[in-house]
Amino acid sequence: MSKKKAEGTNLLYQLIGEARQYDDVIVMGRGDPDFDTPAHIVAAAKQAMIHHHSDYTPPEGLPALRQAIADRVKRVNNIDVDPATEVVVTNGGQEALFLMVLAVLSPGDEMIVPEPNYNTYADSLAFAGGVKVEVQTYADDDFRADPAAVRAAITDKSRALLLVSPNNPAASVISPGDMKTLLDIAIEHDLMVLADDIYDLFVYDDFEHLSPAALPGGKERTLTLNALSKAYSMTGWRLGWIVGPADLMARVTELKAAISGGTSVISQQAGIAALTGPQDAVEMMAAAYRRRRRLVLDALDAMGMKYGLPQGGQFVFADISFTGLDSGEVAQRMLSEQHVLAYPGSAFSKDRKDYLRMTFLQPEEQLIEGLERMKVAMQNITAGR
Amino acid sequence: MASQTKADILAGHDANEALNTQLLPPVARRSRDLSADGLRSFLDERIIAASSEALEAGQTHYVDVPGIAPLRAAIANYLGASAGASYEAGNIIVTAGVQESRFLTIQMIGAEFESIAVPTVAHPGVRKALGVRERTVIPLAADVEGGYLPAVDAIAGALAAGCRLLYLESPARLSGAAYADEDAAAISRLLNEYDAMAIWDQGLAPWVDGKYNSLASFEESPSLVTSIGEAFPGMGLASWHIGYIAAPEAHVPAMQSQKQIMAICTSTAAQYAALEASAIFAEAHNRQLAHLSQLRSDLIELARAVNLEVIAGSAANVLALRASQDTIANLNQAGFEVADGALFGAPAVIRLSVSAAAADALQALR
Ligand SMILES: Cc1ncc(COP(=O)(O)O)c(C=O)c1O
Repeated sequence: MSKKKAEGTNLLYQLIGEARQYDDVIVMGRGDPDFDTPAHIVAAAKQAMIHHHSDYTPPEGLPALRQAIADRVKRVNNIDVDPATEVVVTNGGQEALFLMVLAVLSPGDEMIVPEPNYNTYADSLAFAGGVKVEVQTYADDDFRADPAAVRAAITDKSRALLLVSPNNPAASVISPGDMKTLLDIAIEHDLMVLADDIYDLFVYDDFEHLSPAALPGGKERTLTLNALSKAYSMTGWRLGWIVGPADLMARVTELKAAISGGTSVISQQAGIAALTGPQDAVEMMAAAYRRRRRLVLDALDAMGMKYGLPQGGQFVFADISFTGLDSGEVAQRMLSEQHVLAYPGSAFSKDRKDYLRMTFLQPEEQLIEGLERMKVAMQNITAGR
Repeated sequence: MASQTKADILAGHDANEALNTQLLPPVARRSRDLSADGLRSFLDERIIAASSEALEAGQTHYVDVPGIAPLRAAIANYLGASAGASYEAGNIIVTAGVQESRFLTIQMIGAEFESIAVPTVAHPGVRKALGVRERTVIPLAADVEGGYLPAVDAIAGALAAGCRLLYLESPARLSGAAYADEDAAAISRLLNEYDAMAIWDQGLAPWVDGKYNSLASFEESPSLVTSIGEAFPGMGLASWHIGYIAAPEAHVPAMQSQKQIMAICTSTAAQYAALEASAIFAEAHNRQLAHLSQLRSDLIELARAVNLEVIAGSAANVLALRASQDTIANLNQAGFEVADGALFGAPAVIRLSVSAAAADALQALR
């Protein structure tokens, strides 16, 4: 059956497809917030349809949006960029990711990737002909990207270091101290840094997010991506960006023009409203994710399940080795038998078949029900049923 | 301390001439910008209502990678009705504009072939997309006499020499000239004979006054032709970036997977707008086409009056003229920007978007 064969992203899409068939499914898989886009942003989009529907937008994006992005990365990330030359607007974080990889890596170049990681990096790297050099991170260590391990992975072909913090799927946040050390390593070995800050507003407890481009010597060698998808519940709008040094960004602009020409004017106008308008909806949603994370962790603790503490992001990466089954099989059984969708770790990395990624992007009652069903599924699996 | 790695990366980009090709805007940047082939047109309030209602109803989340099902069906229907091509909804991938369509087809279908034959005169976006990842390009001679459409003989030559993938525009993006049915039929026969494939940019086809047949219409169910274009042009959506790929079944998965990798999906606002546009396209488009055709005839008169040679074409939204560097300079001086044929590969030619401003531009040359 073709079901068994799917891997990586295809496996995830196969599970999403099956999940759709169940009316009572509880989705703890896809990284799509359950909240709809805040109403004032939708209203701004409608105004834009009336007044700006035919406005030309250059490949790098509308000047007003680039200004709003420059202000945002200064305010939140302490990165200084010139909106005229150092910001490129993209079709979501996904296009930003693809462009960053294409801009920096040529065939045969190596990128150091702490694993597990968001699978699109591997896919984009494959398109570019680059080589992924994995640095493993471990649940016992809360999935810390150990600078010593990164250093050990460097070869004369190394060209870039990928830093996704908070990480997807492991939900680890690179500590400020480690971030400084990692940047020092990048400088010492003359590596470019690709920084993915898409979850930067979701950092828990006392953990702290730091963008490498905010550090001395960081900006000139770092491309940083972000998007409105997760923080503003705007996944369907496809709006993201890259910021970086002007010289590299000029080349990113050419690539953006080559692969999609420009970004939809309505989404850009909505983006201006999102970034410059009231932020209370963002705070409300972030607070909800904090509560839900607690709820999920408490439930996993009650089940006696192990996980790396999610320091940030919107998910938990939980250890299911006690089932004795591959995560693909566990996810499949949870879905078919209990109608709960979680993502198998094997879809993120072949070495993570002992893990499941669960998002907390559902209302609390749904999460409680989902976790209850998951418990039943796990009991059935361990009882050999 | 300057980074050698970065210097190497920058040098690599700078050496890539194709990637650095200058792109034309999809819509006019200002009123005297005549360089676009998309229209800065009126947006029907039904489209605004449909798109904003979808957003208000919560269509603000990720949707299917190849597009929302009703839009895929609407595009398939439209291609059948307007260009005689029998694609099904499952053959359609909705894209974030025609440049994404070019990129995905050229790079992903291109990856299955050793080389790709491309007209020496084509939209600059073609070269640009080719520059992202190096491909072997076989030039297909295209000259002004043929309206910049490569002759069937030239195509046959490329196929005979071993190339198995063609990139063709009809109408040609520079001149608006479209292949006659007998030529398209001949190209279709060649594809069958050589078991070759074609990427067929038919984005300007809605602007052909009269019957238009896609290359795909010569196949019962397209297995050799992938068609691309803007979705419902002229409906006020040019800046929303919404396009399509209509591909034989065997080629959908690779492009869909790459679309996922580079975009996840296309913006819902644009998709719901295009869906509504599909419903009202016929009525609005006919009026617009009649208007543009008239305007284009008037422009031809004006061009002749200032001794500019008109290059034959049948798409009502563009007009190509032979023009010296002096003429281009004069137009620029008068505040007009035109599409320089050199960007397409045809120096000493300009392309104007058919509009009232184009008449002003030609008047300014008097
Ligand atoms: C780490 C990371 N980067 C980038 C993206 C792309 O997000 P989007 O394209 O929806 O903005 C995602 C989406 O899940 C992600 O997890």
